[in-house]
Amino acid sequence: MLLNGVRNAAIATKRGSGEKEQERAMGVSLRESLQLVSDPANLDASAEEVFKMMLGIDCHRDSEPMVIEPESVTAVVGFGGLLSGACLFKSGSSTAIKIAAAMTGMEFEEVDDTVKDGIGEICNMLAGAWKGKVPDLAANCGLSIPAVITGRDYNLHVQAPEFKLVHSYTFDGGSFEVTIICDGLQ
Amino acid sequence: MSEIRTLIVDDSTVMRKIVERSLRQAGLDPLIVYEAGSGTEGLEMPSMDGLEFLRQLRAQNLAPGVPVVMITTESSEEHVKQAILAGAQGYIRKPFTAEQVKERVLPLINAA
Repeated sequence: MLLNGVRNAAIATKRGSGEKEQERAMGVSLRESLQLVSDPANLDASAEEVFKMMLGIDCHRDSEPMVIEPESVTAVVGFGGLLSGACLFKSGSSTAIKIAAAMTGMEFEEVDDTVKDGIGEICNMLAGAWKGKVPDLAANCGLSIPAVITGRDYNLHVQAPEFKLVHSYTFDGGSFEVTIICDGLQ
Repeated sequence: MSEIRTLIVDDSTVMRKIVERSLRQAGLDPLIVYEAGSGTEGLEMPSMDGLEFLRQLRAQNLAPGVPVVMITTESSEEHVKQAILAGAQGYIRKPFTAEQVKERVLPLINAA
């Protein structure tokens, strides 16, 4: 339900961004460049770029899954336009706090609204950087405003996506997971 | 340089902090504003996006001659064109570094 909401918001954002762009979008097919769109290297480059530039932190892809904490934070940004789907960022609460602290220079004791805001921004930048790696997507795919979920014992399920990338990353002080779900390509 | 005031308008606390830090590193004294509509007297339209804020700012002539730099996740030529048409003098794509903020903002201040 949440994913549908952010997806619809992204589609609405895209629709509002100008008729000329819509016309361009209709003349482009991403199906022909599926391999480029689903290239795992684009996601790794996006994660490294966002963390290096915004936090001054080196992060690296890890073959091991992210460290599970009792409570976690998940941000979701929907894609709309030529590609429909979502970008998800997930980390444990203590990692989310460290990320927000690195972004702002502030100290946090719990996952408050500023920490959620920071994780939403990270997800937004990851989604933007990822789609920016494919020129047709950069121009013809809109992003929704981030939605942030916190809590314990929750799962996100998407039925039969076109493709899905799930990558884990580590940095000095924590680990996180980024998921790209594509459930429709024009 | 510190006599020059820069205004940060963003609904994200984290983005305001990051931009504030970048501007301070560039020797500027930023005035922080909570969200679009609360930073400019006479423009009472909260919760609009940056592009709409800029269009209203220019349409109502509320900050004549004041250069505006947009910071956004969108990076396509079409988005840059929309920002320029709305009245922006500069454009920074997220993610960005403090150095990039300095490189975009200082020349505009020096030229103003």
